[in-house]
Amino acid sequence: MFPRPIEKSAPWVGIAYKVFLPIALILWLLPLIGIAITSVRPASDLASGNYFGMPSGFAFVENYSSVFKNSNIGWYILNSFRVTIPTVIGAVALSCLTGYALAVYKFKSNLFVFFLFVAGNFVPFQILAIPVRDLTLKMGLYDTMTGLVLFHVAFQTGFCTLFMRNFMKALPFALIESARVEGVNEFKIFWHIVLPLVRPAMAALAVLIFTFIWNDYFWATVMAQSADVRPVTAGMNELKGQYKVAWELISAAAIVAALPPVAMFFLMQKHFIAGLTLGATKG
Amino acid sequence: MATVTLKNAKKQFGAVEIIKGIDLSVADGEFCVFVGPSGCGKSTLLRMIAGLEDFTSGSLQIGGKEMAKVESADRGVAMVFQSYALYPHMTVKQNIGFGLKMTGHSLADIEGRTKRAADMLQLEPLLDRKPSQLSGGQRQRVAIGRAIVRNPEVFLFDEPLSNLDAALRVQMRIQIGKLHHDLKATMIYVTHDQVEAMTMADKIVVLHAGRIEQVGSPLELYHRPNNMFVAGFIGSPKMNFVNVEAGTGSSLKLPGGGTVKIDGMKAKLSGKLTLGIRPEHVELAKKTADANVSTVVRAAEYLGSETMFYVTLPDGTEAAVKADGLAKTQVGDTLLLHFPPKACHVFDPDGKTLHNGDLSK
Repeated sequence: MFPRPIEKSAPWVGIAYKVFLPIALILWLLPLIGIAITSVRPASDLASGNYFGMPSGFAFVENYSSVFKNSNIGWYILNSFRVTIPTVIGAVALSCLTGYALAVYKFKSNLFVFFLFVAGNFVPFQILAIPVRDLTLKMGLYDTMTGLVLFHVAFQTGFCTLFMRNFMKALPFALIESARVEGVNEFKIFWHIVLPLVRPAMAALAVLIFTFIWNDYFWATVMAQSADVRPVTAGMNELKGQYKVAWELISAAAIVAALPPVAMFFLMQKHFIAGLTLGATKG
Repeated sequence: MATVTLKNAKKQFGAVEIIKGIDLSVADGEFCVFVGPSGCGKSTLLRMIAGLEDFTSGSLQIGGKEMAKVESADRGVAMVFQSYALYPHMTVKQNIGFGLKMTGHSLADIEGRTKRAADMLQLEPLLDRKPSQLSGGQRQRVAIGRAIVRNPEVFLFDEPLSNLDAALRVQMRIQIGKLHHDLKATMIYVTHDQVEAMTMADKIVVLHAGRIEQVGSPLELYHRPNNMFVAGFIGSPKMNFVNVEAGTGSSLKLPGGGTVKIDGMKAKLSGKLTLGIRPEHVELAKKTADANVSTVVRAAEYLGSETMFYVTLPDGTEAAVKADGLAKTQVGDTLLLHFPPKACHVFDPDGKTLHNGDLSK
């Protein structure tokens, strides 16, 4: 049997395993635990310098309700959805089309175009910040939802195309050829055969992109200014206050903001059916 | 129903010529099998007929109409793939009806045609299953059903049985043969298995390195091969080839000093030649006087109904002999062989046939 059960190995291995596993787990979870504890710490604890000790009280209700009362976080979360959902739809839809073209059609510059998509991922986006801001200003897209969505879609399509192209390339090509001989047109092949078969990949991609865009702070600060556009990552800044940083509120806000990607993951979970294409060809 | 005619068909991939000028005519309702070793271009040729590969040059006519530049869908062909190519997310019924539905056939029409195909192939109980719930043979039948519903003029099969086990292969071979009889459609079938070719074909096309070596009925190819390639390829186990030298008149000198006198030899023999004789036509001689050659048994397979001896001739040539199941010779023993002249084929040094034996005499 492989891997060998830990109970069957030498005693010292078993003991070391039982000691180090919890340590590693706690180390790994420490930042998350820190945020979670801070989010329920009363403000007085932080004022008196009790950052990492036991909280003196449980201020869950106070902190979480004041996050919603003292800032526009509800509005910012809505903004985040208004940016993220169109971006996910746009990037996944576009990359399915580009991925299909690059995976299925033989044309001269196929590989070159594919490498262009891939190479785009290697450009650090920090160096693009100023040109993109100038461009959006000139196009009248600065500080608009449309601008933010358009640029997110543009930046994510490279990676998505790489992902979808490789997934589609792995489908048995005979499926497509068989449909062609039957007289099914190319778009219907794409829609009725290829798309249903790459559904697990689309689900995985949607979750990934949702998380990327939801957690984006960089473009949110570069391309958005007004409260109408600002997504939750940038909006949280508001809780900093004028004279002191309210860490307990920022922590609480961070946890609230992290919930949608987690929910998204569990929602899409059932679509990750691996091996949907199993049994497609060989017996 | 239609004839298929290829004229000087050529196909190049880059600088490599895969199909080097094929002229072929398949009659209406004929079962034509392309056979050849791997890499001979038989699948490529089939895909060219299907419209999945372009012609580099040459022409293709189906039912008298020029089709080389016509879209695959408009050629009136249906193809069955080696991998079955069933859509894994659709049920059997949806798989069979998919092409019709996508090309705008009415639901009643699809229903009727699906039912007819299902009846023909005993698919009725499987219609609501997904391909992953089917066995290999069932998948193959669905793939054939998908071809039938389109009422094509020409059926194209690309090694359809090579993923099946031996027993199922025999069963499907019979089923496809029956289907051909029922539908009376033109069928072109690609295989590397010469047993499939022999059992199913009206006409066999032997391909080798992008060219046609010979076209003919199975028995024609078996009895009168045009060259050494066809002689060696058709027939199982394959024909024995023995290096011989021309003797006086129409006699041939065998390794070890024996001779064979070929009856009815028309060509003049000279120099080094090759003698071909099938394992099933070699006879065991009881006395040295009757034998043409004395050999040593290297391996023996006792199959009950027959015994296969693999022997070494005096010059080191290896040969196979099919003897009856009662033969008692052991490995290491000497085996005396008699080559009946009417079963001997003679080939020149280029591999061309100089003489075909005639067993009917």
